[in-house]
Amino acid sequence: MRTQNATAYRFLTPYLLIFAIFWIWPIISSFIISFQATRTVPWRFAPAFNWGRLIGDPAFYNALKNTLLILVIQVPVMIALAIVMAVLLNSPLLKARGLYRFAFFAPVVVGEVAYSAVFRLMFSLDFGIVNKLLNSVGIPKIDWFSNVTPAMALIMIAVTWRWAGYNAIIILAGLQSIPEDVYEAATLDRVSKLKQFFHITLPLLKPVIVFCAVLSIIGTMQLFTEPFLITERGGPGGGTETLGLLLYRQGFRSLNFGYASAVAYTMAGLAIAITLVQLWLMREPK
Amino acid sequence: MAAVTLTNVIKRFGVFEVVHGANIDIADGEFVVFVGPSGCGKSTLLRMIAGLEDISGGDIAIGGKVMNDVEAADRGIAMVFQSYALYPHMTVEQNLSFGLRMNGNPKADTERRVKRAAEILRIDELMQRRPKQLSGGQRQRVAIGRAIVREPQVFLFDEPLSNLDAELRVQMRVEISRLHKELGVTMIYVTHDQTEAMTLADRIVVLKAGNVEQIGAPLDLYDDPANRFVAGFIGSPKMNFLGAKIVDTSNSAAIIELVNHGGARLRKPLREAFPAIGAEVVLGVRPEHFFEAGQGDCDIPVKADVAEHLGSVSYVYANAGPEELIVEREASRQRASGDHFTVSIKAERSLLFDKAGARIR
Ligand SMILES: Nc1ncnc2c1ncn2[C@@H]1O[C@H](COP(=O)(O)OP(=O)(O)OP(=O)(O)O)[C@@H](O)[C@H]1O
Ligand SMILES: [Mg+2]
Repeated sequence: MRTQNATAYRFLTPYLLIFAIFWIWPIISSFIISFQATRTVPWRFAPAFNWGRLIGDPAFYNALKNTLLILVIQVPVMIALAIVMAVLLNSPLLKARGLYRFAFFAPVVVGEVAYSAVFRLMFSLDFGIVNKLLNSVGIPKIDWFSNVTPAMALIMIAVTWRWAGYNAIIILAGLQSIPEDVYEAATLDRVSKLKQFFHITLPLLKPVIVFCAVLSIIGTMQLFTEPFLITERGGPGGGTETLGLLLYRQGFRSLNFGYASAVAYTMAGLAIAITLVQLWLMREPK
Repeated sequence: MAAVTLTNVIKRFGVFEVVHGANIDIADGEFVVFVGPSGCGKSTLLRMIAGLEDISGGDIAIGGKVMNDVEAADRGIAMVFQSYALYPHMTVEQNLSFGLRMNGNPKADTERRVKRAAEILRIDELMQRRPKQLSGGQRQRVAIGRAIVREPQVFLFDEPLSNLDAELRVQMRVEISRLHKELGVTMIYVTHDQTEAMTLADRIVVLKAGNVEQIGAPLDLYDDPANRFVAGFIGSPKMNFLGAKIVDTSNSAAIIELVNHGGARLRKPLREAFPAIGAEVVLGVRPEHFFEAGQGDCDIPVKADVAEHLGSVSYVYANAGPEELIVEREASRQRASGDHFTVSIKAERSLLFDKAGARIR
């Protein structure tokens, strides 16, 4: 047994080495860096330098506020949408199910740059199809990119478009694991389809929904691509700047690695905290 | 009053017909068991009665009212599923009361019904548990309880005991029997286990490949099966079938020769039909109807192969030419492998079938 384990670990060594160098070490290292003043040469230990700045930095609070706002609106809307999509996908009335399943999943596969470019085109002020459609039903043109509220909405729409199908596929798997005869029993109990959904389907999907919510929260906490590419680096005027974007600007534009590390740890800490609260709220009653 | 009547009921899945015109009359308060091999359409028939499956042809009436287009919930039936189909996220109590609560039944009445069901099934202690905290037998009780709470006119059971171990199965069988006596309502019970059918049923419906083969009281099916299939299906161990040939017919009897037993002959009195001389027939003899040498009408020598001793009886698997026979012997008459012995067949304790399997009386 012992020798078997030793052999196994010898085979694992290359992987463990790479894991240690490229995963473990950066995590430890950035933690240390977050306590160092990195604008001086050489770097020196100064705990208050980054963390102190973070606590009083309006740019940080702006990014935090934007990130949480997106989180609070986009994640629930997307999950609700994903549940509806999954239920429709699961319907026996649906023809060409495989096609829809692929179509729902496809956005995840599309390259980020390409998708962002298409969104910029679609939402463009004068040439975008979205404004044309709004116009045709009598709603005046919206300048999606130069006002904060539409820009935030655009980010949320984009993220939802990209990830709702992905979550729907996961929820679909959960739906399909609910045995058919439970619904038959409910039908014999004279429970309507709608009540079946709320009293049977949703409660039984809870673990899957929690899983999707946790994934989405972690993803949204790190949100970067959409504000970077679609609203052009958090525009207008930092109105859509997220923590991920702040981290990028500090670390790779201003080369202020200490502060960027502090932001990174704040993001991770928040994601963990929100997830724990979420798990606690959704725990199984004893 | 809830008699159940099936008239020429047909079921097709696409172009594939799985029930070919079933005619079954079930009286109010009767316990009827549908029995047959796997895939013969028992569940399909039951689900059509429940309203979970559309009817492709014919009529199903419950309590004198044709139910073809009536919603499942309005048919006055309750069904117990093989897999229990309990609501996994609800406690036992919630499982029992769910249907009533969803339909705005008065709270006091719901409580009364749940309490009564719990008492009948002795699950009072389990009310706050969830299905996954219950044993198989307890889950089955809850599933039955959920049916009782609905106070249906007809209970439908689809192989409710097949997921239980042998001992529990016997115990639950007795409980279901008791329940039938207590409630006095019509029960339709599906199983492929002929022992369950024999012990529970007032009447048995034997099905084969979507056809009703015979309907009758358990012992009538045992004593007087309509064909070879029913004869082989009812009774455990199975009836033996011996190849035979008609060599003569005279004086309302046929002389038949057991072709695999050195020309042993038997005179079998017949009432209805006289097959042609030379016709190939099959003689059915139940394991318990082999007598000691010389005590019957026709002796055949056999060689013991394997013997199963069950205590009160033994079953000897014996070779006789190309045929394997199962012979029941009292336990005291133990046989070892390789023993040669002689068994005797009585004409009135054997059944004659034609080549197609129809009974010749
Ligand atoms: N939804 C369906 N679509 C197509 N064919 C079906 C469907 N349900 C059942 N069948 C077919 O109908 C026949 C009868 O099935 P049924 O489930 O009634 O058998 P059963 O007698 O209950 O068997 P078992 O003892 O295995 O439960 C089978 O040949 C089965 O393949
Ligand atoms: Mg079945």
